[in-house]
Amino acid sequence: MPLCDYSCGSADHRLSRRAFLGAAGASAVLGRDVFAGPATGELSRAQKRVLVIFLAGGVSQLETWDPKPGTETGGPFAAIPTSVPGTHICELLPLTAKRMHRLALVRSLNSTSDDHGIGEKIMLTGRKPEAGIEYPHIGAVAAKLLGTADQVMPGHIAIFPRGSGSGKQDATFLGAKYASVPVADGRPPADLLRPAGLSEETDRQREELRRKLTDKFAKSRRSAATEAYAESFTQAERVFRRADVFDIAKESLKTAERYGRHDFGRHLLLARRLLESGVSYVKVSHSNYDTHHENFDFHIEQLGEFDRPFAALLDDLSDRGMLDSTLVVVMSEMGRTPKINDRYGRDHWSKAWSVALGGCGIHGGAVVGKTNATGTAVVDREVSAGHLFHTYLQAVGLNSTKNFYPNDRPVPIADPKAEPIAEILV
Amino acid sequence: MTSWSCFVVAVVATLSPPSSARAGESLHARIDGLIAAGYPDYPKQAAPVADDDEFLRRIYLDLNGTIPTADEARAFFADPSPTKRMAVVDQLLDSPGYARRMAQFLDVTLMERRNDSKVPRAAWEEYLRGSVGRNVAYDAFVRELLSADGADPKTRPAAKFFLDRDLEPNLATRDLSRVFLGRNLQCAQCHDHPSVADYKQADYYGILAFLNRSFLFPNAAAPNAVIAEKADGDVNFVSVFDKAKKQAATGPRIPGGNPLDEPTLAKGKEYKTAPAKDVKPVPAYSRRKRLAAAITSADNPAFARTAVNRLWAMMLGRGLVHPVDWDHPGNPPSHPALLDLLAAEFVGHGYDVKWLLRAIALSQTYQRRSEAPAGLTEIPPDRYLVAILKPLPAESLAFAICQATGQTALERTALGAKATEPAVDARLAATVAQFRAKFGGRPGEPDDGTVTTLDQTLFLKNGNLVRGLTLPRIGNLADRLAKLPDSQAADELFLSVLTRRPTDDERKDVVAAVTGGANRPAAFGELVWALVASAEFRFNH
Repeated sequence: MPLCDYSCGSADHRLSRRAFLGAAGASAVLGRDVFAGPATGELSRAQKRVLVIFLAGGVSQLETWDPKPGTETGGPFAAIPTSVPGTHICELLPLTAKRMHRLALVRSLNSTSDDHGIGEKIMLTGRKPEAGIEYPHIGAVAAKLLGTADQVMPGHIAIFPRGSGSGKQDATFLGAKYASVPVADGRPPADLLRPAGLSEETDRQREELRRKLTDKFAKSRRSAATEAYAESFTQAERVFRRADVFDIAKESLKTAERYGRHDFGRHLLLARRLLESGVSYVKVSHSNYDTHHENFDFHIEQLGEFDRPFAALLDDLSDRGMLDSTLVVVMSEMGRTPKINDRYGRDHWSKAWSVALGGCGIHGGAVVGKTNATGTAVVDREVSAGHLFHTYLQAVGLNSTKNFYPNDRPVPIADPKAEPIAEILV
Repeated sequence: MTSWSCFVVAVVATLSPPSSARAGESLHARIDGLIAAGYPDYPKQAAPVADDDEFLRRIYLDLNGTIPTADEARAFFADPSPTKRMAVVDQLLDSPGYARRMAQFLDVTLMERRNDSKVPRAAWEEYLRGSVGRNVAYDAFVRELLSADGADPKTRPAAKFFLDRDLEPNLATRDLSRVFLGRNLQCAQCHDHPSVADYKQADYYGILAFLNRSFLFPNAAAPNAVIAEKADGDVNFVSVFDKAKKQAATGPRIPGGNPLDEPTLAKGKEYKTAPAKDVKPVPAYSRRKRLAAAITSADNPAFARTAVNRLWAMMLGRGLVHPVDWDHPGNPPSHPALLDLLAAEFVGHGYDVKWLLRAIALSQTYQRRSEAPAGLTEIPPDRYLVAILKPLPAESLAFAICQATGQTALERTALGAKATEPAVDARLAATVAQFRAKFGGRPGEPDDGTVTTLDQTLFLKNGNLVRGLTLPRIGNLADRLAKLPDSQAADELFLSVLTRRPTDDERKDVVAAVTGGANRPAAFGELVWALVASAEFRFNH
């Protein structure tokens, strides 16, 4: 069996199936706390943001956005009607189904790599890896192009489940300023606060000298590494000033309940707070969908965790008037094979799978592309990760056909071989 | 002759100047000759050799994993001897700090920050320090690593490479090929490498065939597991690209080499100890036991080549083959003749790591300034025109901070007559562990200190540990500085932390920062922090 970066084990699955079923039942009767204090005053209407929910390991399109019930590949689950007449999704997403009018579906993605690492890179950079150049991830691109000069919070934050981390170079030539700030397990970064006994004035003085020394040193030795190091202190200062944003205890119990008390629920609630505070791009990873064994049981558990907070998030963004300016994308590094293997699992699959997106600039309720009756091939409007990358940028009002100019050399922001998916853009 | 060596010979012919062929010349001079031949007008374009202060800090960090004390720096600067650099290189190579530093380097190279599951960290570090301290030949060291089965408590730490990878054959194959052969064959697991013509699926499975009969006994989860082996089990593979699903088979084989001759055993004679319930089987013929000799064999040039390339990268901040596990004809070395020379000399000198590091350290190439000369704007990093900045590895950062802030000296004083280097290190171990947790790479991935994360910076900026080290305490640096006159304190501060004297401007900044404040020692504590947190400290330059 191939070695995967992700474990296929179930140790991470904190919510038992029983607990999920109970919780999902309860959520249907919980109202939305529309009175929870929105802190949107500071957000300019013009400011656009992006949220990517990354279903790590490779989510099954058949158990989510492109069900094929009653076929040899369909598995045991039914397709249910949604708030968009004629559009059905898998029954594992009942709350999302009621909000389908806010989402567009792309059901004809061929992302070309069945490898976790390469697939993730393709989906986040919108390009196949090329020798000699590392392209920045969508988060760094969004942070650079959507950020404002007076922005306090970092532009690019990645929330990870406990036990995993980022530490990856995701800004590449755009520079460390736009690299992701990892927030492990949704907790505020350790040592964020100024130590006891250090006054603001003394801190300012010692920082001034540190900066002076660093600038002198780096003047004739500038490198990506020295810049990243220098920038990290500026970033530490900025994040420190907004430490309260990381504290989801500031939310009402009712709100916390709506998102769910499990890790992913907490992480998505934190993502909403970060977006509200002016962060340009937030990525929340939900692990783990790498279901080579027992695909169906795992998707019951995982999507049970996903569905409720995702619905709560869409409601909150909409209620706060933020959905018009926030692009929400649900992606993965690949889909899963239509063929069910002999361990009731589905394996890696990139040829024909789906991505959901909604909010800013997206035509809610649109469905683009089609797979055949058993989901084994795209039969209409095949798109690549490059098409999606263009679409994300256009959705938030950016011209994806422009260039970056690292070292004065033009590098297209998005893959020039692809173009935006016009049908789903408003 | 393989196509690979043809390639090397061709490049040698075009790049090496006649002088580099002079066998009587010292290796460090020959290194400089080959590096100079790799760039037009190199002597004029390259940065000059570094001043004493930059050189001293660099060589201490590279060979001892810490910075010099202010006293050591002063003594070195004052020494008029023209051979003092050679003397300090020799002194550092013979010090206990060298064993500690190389143990750290070997640990990260071999284990890549994996969790310690079967061989505890302390035993592993002690084993590595012992090997480095005795300057065990590198080939012998690797043979020990790859032969130990973990059953004998005396040699169990050597088995860590396999034990802490749970002897998972794919993982072990990938890492054997990366660490010892300089080739990342991971993609060749499922098919011939799509973009590297030389990385064949058969190569991958040839390595795997040394290991596929071995397993952990009683099981991989047992902390005291040892390596056992069966007498049967063949390796078959199919390319995922092959529509016909044609199966291929391979016996144990090192990439580029021939398959091993293997004995055929009569039925019933396959085992010395036959498998049975709760019994560790011992086969009459062990494939795994042939791995060590096969990898370190003179017939396998990739072994010495990879070793010298990794050591070069440790010293220079970049491998001649870069990345260090991506050696193939499509990614040739920056200086092919130099890599060949280093590999040949390394083998010729009995795989003597210390000897090789000494030659590199004495080269002008190693000793260049890290500042780009005025006018040199585009600096190709693979031409070694300017010294490459190296972020301090987690352990070096910890030891350097302890040294700079006076913590090391305090521990030494506290130990009194028992203050050996290992005893001092032991007292700093908890501090080092915290730095390792923050600044070490992710388990199983090569350390890449070039990415700074917010949590690392917050740890330096606001964390209790660094705060505690920098603030004045009786006998530490801030405390000592507060008792000196301002101008002398500025000198001592800069020498202690940055291994150089302050500029006039910096001296003024120090005086201004400590003048008029109510708490002079505390003010010095903040100054110590500012220097420790500067990029000049964070990087080996």
